[in-house]
Amino acid sequence: MQLEYFLLLGAALFCIGIYGLVTSRNAVRVLMSIELMLNAVNINLMGFSNYLDPAEIKGQVFTVFVITVAAAEAAVGLAIVLAIYRNRDTIDMEQFNLLKW
Amino acid sequence: MNETFSQTIWLVPLYALIGAVLAIPWSPGIIRNTGPRPSGYLNTLMTFIALVHSLLALREVWEQPVQYLSFQWLQAANLSISFDLEISVITISALLLVSGLNFIAQIYAIGYMEMDWGWARFYCLLALFEAGMSTLVLCNSLFFSYVVLEILTLGTYLLIGLWFNQSLVVTGARDAFLTKRVGDLILLMGVVALLPLAGTWNYTELAQWANTTTIDPKVATLLCLALIAGPLGKCAQFPLHLWLDEAMEGPMPGTILRNTIVVSTGAWVLIKLQPVLALSPFASNFMVGIGATTAIGAGLIAIAQIDIKRSLSYSVSAYMGLVFIAVGTQHDVTALRLLFTYAVAMSLLVMSIGGIVLNNITQDLTQYGGLWSRRPISGICFLVGAASLVAFPPLGCFWTLTELASDLWLSRPWLIAVFVIVNGLTAFSLTREFSLIFGGKPKPMTVRSPEGLWALVLPMTFMMGFALHVPILLQQWGLLPQWQDLNLTVVIPLVISTFVGVGAAALIYLNDKIAKPIVLKPKALQDFFAYDLYTAQLYRVTIVFVVGLVSQIIAWCDRYLVDGVINLVGFATIFSGESLKYNTSGNVQSYVLSILLGVGLFIGIACIPFINQLSF
Repeated sequence: MQLEYFLLLGAALFCIGIYGLVTSRNAVRVLMSIELMLNAVNINLMGFSNYLDPAEIKGQVFTVFVITVAAAEAAVGLAIVLAIYRNRDTIDMEQFNLLKW
Repeated sequence: MNETFSQTIWLVPLYALIGAVLAIPWSPGIIRNTGPRPSGYLNTLMTFIALVHSLLALREVWEQPVQYLSFQWLQAANLSISFDLEISVITISALLLVSGLNFIAQIYAIGYMEMDWGWARFYCLLALFEAGMSTLVLCNSLFFSYVVLEILTLGTYLLIGLWFNQSLVVTGARDAFLTKRVGDLILLMGVVALLPLAGTWNYTELAQWANTTTIDPKVATLLCLALIAGPLGKCAQFPLHLWLDEAMEGPMPGTILRNTIVVSTGAWVLIKLQPVLALSPFASNFMVGIGATTAIGAGLIAIAQIDIKRSLSYSVSAYMGLVFIAVGTQHDVTALRLLFTYAVAMSLLVMSIGGIVLNNITQDLTQYGGLWSRRPISGICFLVGAASLVAFPPLGCFWTLTELASDLWLSRPWLIAVFVIVNGLTAFSLTREFSLIFGGKPKPMTVRSPEGLWALVLPMTFMMGFALHVPILLQQWGLLPQWQDLNLTVVIPLVISTFVGVGAAALIYLNDKIAKPIVLKPKALQDFFAYDLYTAQLYRVTIVFVVGLVSQIIAWCDRYLVDGVINLVGFATIFSGESLKYNTSGNVQSYVLSILLGVGLFIGIACIPFINQLSF
């Protein structure tokens, strides 16, 4: 096993997340894509911490923080989606284009 | 010898200027209660003071050497413009003539403008003219002559446009201004071009320069042609003569001045420039050609007019043509004398006509008739003026015309023919006018025609006396040749042409057997001269058309091309804003995409150096 494989996996996951973020019509799936991207970041952090900093493993601490913050962010995100849903009765991203030109 | 008056001769133009300023308060808008007459009296007084001053100054400078005065006007870098004055017998005599004719015209105007409210404006302009002409004759610098000529052009515009509620007055004033302005502008080119060549604008120094210079003949020709163009317009020569015809819409006392001295201002500058103009034989021939063409053409046109004022105005053009011939053949002194005798005669003619027009309302020659028994003074004045204008011994112009003709007899005999023809035509034209006005039976317009007020008759009779004394004056000054010195080969044709002209006109117009109005067999020829060679139409299809077309094209270019390019920038900005706003789609995901694309692009650009280093 090498660091590069972890990084490639992280990058691939991040790209999948981006694809999902840009193309999804469902707002919840957008949040899910963000989670994917965060997890890709976590893989990076873990990989670096394991191969480059095995002594102090600061990357793992970062990962714990990222997971924590991601959870909070997902909670707030879902709350926002719920708030929009209550108003507009839909969570289709293409229906939320009110703030244009 | 006491020289108080000749040394303060520069005051003479100022008297008139003071009069001009003092006349303004009596404009109807300022002093509302008393009427405008004091402005006229005041100006007449100022002119009288100027007249007396010039007269006293003339006594002082008589047979004295020429004196020069010079004031610094502008000193900037290498350019020094001084206002030079020449105090000589000639300039002060001219000053006397100017102020004398002004004095007479102003008294005349007191009678003529009796029923008019615009005295303040009128007298103010007359005084401006007097000041301008006095400055012109005194000043010894081409530059200031030009300045004065331009001021006089503006004055002409205002004076012709005195009664501006008449449409013909407005167009006449416009034409007079523009036509004279064109000539003056070309003159300006000559004036400006002369400074680097001669290094001076002083007439005296110019004459010295012209004697010694060896400039390129082409340069000399162009320069001289430019210098001629100003007087060409001023003196109403072909082809810039239409303005004088239309200027006859102005008030009569102004006409006295215009016909006698204002048109002479151009000739004065021309005479002063004669040494320079002699540099180019082509320019001299050009002047002679223009003068001869105008003299004969205008002489013919004058015969075909039915408006009395216009008929006289073409005689003015004709005589100015003779002055052009005189200057073109280097007879500047004779030209000056011709101007003098001509001005006296023409002022008398115009004054006589003015009285007739005032009381008979019409200016149409065909409406006049039978005034001799009721208007003897005007008639006699007209006769004396006419006799002084043509070669009728022993009156004024006889001497100058014969002098000129005998001088030209050896050098250019063909010009004698021009003189004879012009003299005959003028004699015919004047006799025709006299016969139509004073001869024949009274017509409806002339049934009741009293002689004018004293203010009209007094200056006229005074001028008649002066005209009769001109030969005596000339003899007193030693300007007349002895009888035995007269060149009979030119005198006899001239005198004969006078009598032929007078006789033919009298025979035709005083003879009841010939039906009036007279119609020439080719009617087109008569119309050709009656409509002064269709000059107005000629202007309209040539220069006016071209300038109008060009200005329309330029206005179009400005409106659509120049403005259009600038507007296009604005439109492009508006359009791009209007279209680029659709980038803000309102879709969060598209914003994310553009952020990512931006980041990707930035990374790609940042990575270009590293990619280049890679070696595959």
